[in-house]
Amino acid sequence: MSPPLLEVSNASKIYAMGGLLSRRRFAAVADVSFTLEEDRHEIFTIIGESGSGKTTLARMILNIVPATEGTIRFRGVDLATIRKRADRLAFMRQVQPIFQNPFEAFNPLKRVDRYLYMTALHFTDARTADEVRAKADRALRQVGLSLAEVKGRFPHELSGGQLQRVAVARSLISSPALIIADEPVSMVDASIRMSIVNLFKALRDTLKVSIIYITHDLATAYYISDRIIIMKKGEVVESGNAREVLAHPTHPYSILLKNSVLSPDPSRRDELLAPQFSSTEKDIAALR
Amino acid sequence: MTAGAPTTVGAAGQGVAEAPQPQPVLRVSDLSAFYQTHYFGIVREVRAVDDISLHVLPNEIYGLAGESSCGKTTLIKTIAGAIQPPLNVVGGSVKFDFRGQSINVYESTPEERNAMRWQHLSYIMQGSMSVLNPVRRVRHSFVDFAFRHIGRSMPDFLDTVVGHLERLHLRADVLDAYPHELSGGMRQRVTIALATVCRPEFIIADEPTTALDVVVQKGVLAMIRGIQREIGSSLLFVTHDLSVHANLADRLGIMYAGHIVEEGPTAELFASPRHPYTVHLIGSLPRVGDAAPKKGLEGVPPNLADPPPGCRFHPRCPLAMGICSRETPVMEWAGPGRRVACFAAEKGITA
Amino acid sequence: MLSILKDLLRYNREFAAGAALLGIVVAMSAMSALAPMPPDDVYVVPPDLPPSWTYLMGTTSRGQDVFWQLSFAIRNTLLFGFIVALLSRILSLVIGLLSGYLGGFVDRVLMSINDTFIVMPLFPILVMFYFVMRDRMSWAALALVMAGLGWAYDARLIRSIAMSLRTRQFTEHSVYSGMSTRQIVAQEHLPYVMPIVFSTTMNNINWSIGLEVTLSVLGFTNINTPTIGVMIYWANQHTAMTAGVWWWVFFPVALVIMVFIGLFLLAVSMNEYIDPRSRLSRMRSAKT
Repeated sequence: MSPPLLEVSNASKIYAMGGLLSRRRFAAVADVSFTLEEDRHEIFTIIGESGSGKTTLARMILNIVPATEGTIRFRGVDLATIRKRADRLAFMRQVQPIFQNPFEAFNPLKRVDRYLYMTALHFTDARTADEVRAKADRALRQVGLSLAEVKGRFPHELSGGQLQRVAVARSLISSPALIIADEPVSMVDASIRMSIVNLFKALRDTLKVSIIYITHDLATAYYISDRIIIMKKGEVVESGNAREVLAHPTHPYSILLKNSVLSPDPSRRDELLAPQFSSTEKDIAALR
Repeated sequence: MTAGAPTTVGAAGQGVAEAPQPQPVLRVSDLSAFYQTHYFGIVREVRAVDDISLHVLPNEIYGLAGESSCGKTTLIKTIAGAIQPPLNVVGGSVKFDFRGQSINVYESTPEERNAMRWQHLSYIMQGSMSVLNPVRRVRHSFVDFAFRHIGRSMPDFLDTVVGHLERLHLRADVLDAYPHELSGGMRQRVTIALATVCRPEFIIADEPTTALDVVVQKGVLAMIRGIQREIGSSLLFVTHDLSVHANLADRLGIMYAGHIVEEGPTAELFASPRHPYTVHLIGSLPRVGDAAPKKGLEGVPPNLADPPPGCRFHPRCPLAMGICSRETPVMEWAGPGRRVACFAAEKGITA
Repeated sequence: MLSILKDLLRYNREFAAGAALLGIVVAMSAMSALAPMPPDDVYVVPPDLPPSWTYLMGTTSRGQDVFWQLSFAIRNTLLFGFIVALLSRILSLVIGLLSGYLGGFVDRVLMSINDTFIVMPLFPILVMFYFVMRDRMSWAALALVMAGLGWAYDARLIRSIAMSLRTRQFTEHSVYSGMSTRQIVAQEHLPYVMPIVFSTTMNNINWSIGLEVTLSVLGFTNINTPTIGVMIYWANQHTAMTAGVWWWVFFPVALVIMVFIGLFLLAVSMNEYIDPRSRLSRMRSAKT
């Protein structure tokens, strides 16, 4: 039997804080386990608020931050054993990130198409300038852009939505098996947001890519996810089928999270915004 | 409550009074404010606020929605009179009417404007850290901002502050904390307390909950509305998040590329949006429990330094007609308390 | 490149003024090629003549024409300053960027070397070099020594910028585009430190010329190679100021001040073209 695509087993990231005498251990990620199967292309969502450890977990899977306990295996390879540049390139060819802020993900002093060419040059068999451009153009067409629109442009000349599409296109050039998207739409304008979200759906269905979608937004998570885990203070508090978990959460924190989502429906406003903050405060205090 | 104020103060100024109605606290008429730069003899103009008219009634929450760089932050800066070159007001007026004391922001002296701030007009900003001095206890921020406006002795003043904090379910000991010792939500609530302690008639809130976690956001919003209802002030609330507007705003204005394109009572605007941009925004909102496919809008928001001719939305509009690229639609009265700037909506066509 | 220079000259007053000042200085040093007599010869013209049409800047007490003498002196001094700056810039860039980007062990080793150089007292070391080398102390040797001593402060400055660049999202984006350390440091990070490099180059030339003048005035260099410092040395030896031969001191000092001001203005205006978001490129896009 072939190994799973991604196997996270009991992974933890523990930071030591404070000085010599008051050393405290702080678990950014505590004992997280889940598995993504090779053939089940899915959107796996990690939900959590700020400080929940979701971004640290993403960086552990990207092998930017090493796990202090437990193991993360990608196609059977323990990420801790990847050290040589050739191995790292081989890993990055298969696992690609998409970052939160498209304006930060591109060097403002450099042209955006450069990232596409670099990726094509390092991760594909393209060697000549024409081959590299062809790869970039193909990837851009998969996200609804073309090289002509992007060529020679600086980041400040494109909109946030366009830049995020270019970032997605870049991640597709190496034909990865897994894409890790950390809050990819939180900085994107509302009118563009759903097209990016739909793009992830399309990638899963047509390109057979698995996607780890990291977000704090339950509504888009419900819209595109197959499975979810909900994290709080580094721990997974609830996991399972996305629609079931979000429709009928069972853990108190998941319930609180769901009840905190504002409904975009003015007819229910008074029930939602009843002056209940003292009780909310108590809920938070009890949970923290 | 004040939802459905039955007048429009439009560009043409047609006021169709159907019922006796209170005097608006804020009246913005035909306001235009551009960023004008002259570098080496080349003039550039970014038309961030372009011919905007709106009014806000007493005890009303007016929501302003729009995407990034649509001019909403510039609009509230201009309304507050807090502008600096290269941003210049090129036309129109901003008038406040505080219980008999009226002020025309761009015809008043800087002293008059300063006197207006904090006592009659206050802000709640997105970054609470920019209001609270990070190296001084919270108490000092209250003294610095509000002491001279309240005009009582120091013990009296602190009693007032503590009473106000209690109203906002904050314990008095936050006064002795440093800002970094408080959580993000707590800090934002302190800034709200700071902005409301003088019981101003008008509060401007710029994305006050955007940086907060969802669990905390709801409590903060409830608090903002609670205190607004209690002191009876008007609130101009700016955020890109329509779910927040749905739960908070009495009336809602939708901004696109420097214009307000649609305005109306929140419930009616959500139930029957008229402008194709609003239709899209509301239609594409994802909700938990709704997995029906939703489309994004193609195209990009226009560059305000070089906006398209005619209606600025027409390159992305599913209903665009010939006239849309030639003429700019004006805000027309479109039902009780509603205005819309769209040629298609005028003809009764909806997306 | 040419069009950038043209735009800078047309629209940027600082650049135009700086270029004009340096132009005069460079033209002066170029005159050395036309000199009617070699720089070392003495008593070739009547001594102690004030500026006149025959002797534009007067003559020295050693029977040299100040104008031609100065042309050799400024050529050598400029060359000296540029060589010291160039060599020490290379050192500080390589060490600062690598140390900041790689961090960890490399950073600790490089920075301990760096700190050693920062605390070393420069002047006694330079004087010591003179006493060890004596007659072999050419200005080229002095330039090498000063370049070796003059990189440390700026390497620290560059390191601090590189450290903040390392945490920016676009650096991770570059890593996942397959770029190597060399590519990231040289292509992504270098443009950010260039404005600093330009202004520190100005400071460094200033510093090295200043030190060279000091050493020369005291006689701790090869006094047979004419430089600005050596000219002042000879003027001092002949008590030029008290003897009323002010032109022997005035013209060298005036020329050195022109160099400093010209370099400063250039460094300030250079930032205009390094940043594509700057006024210049915005302006150009407004024109087209």
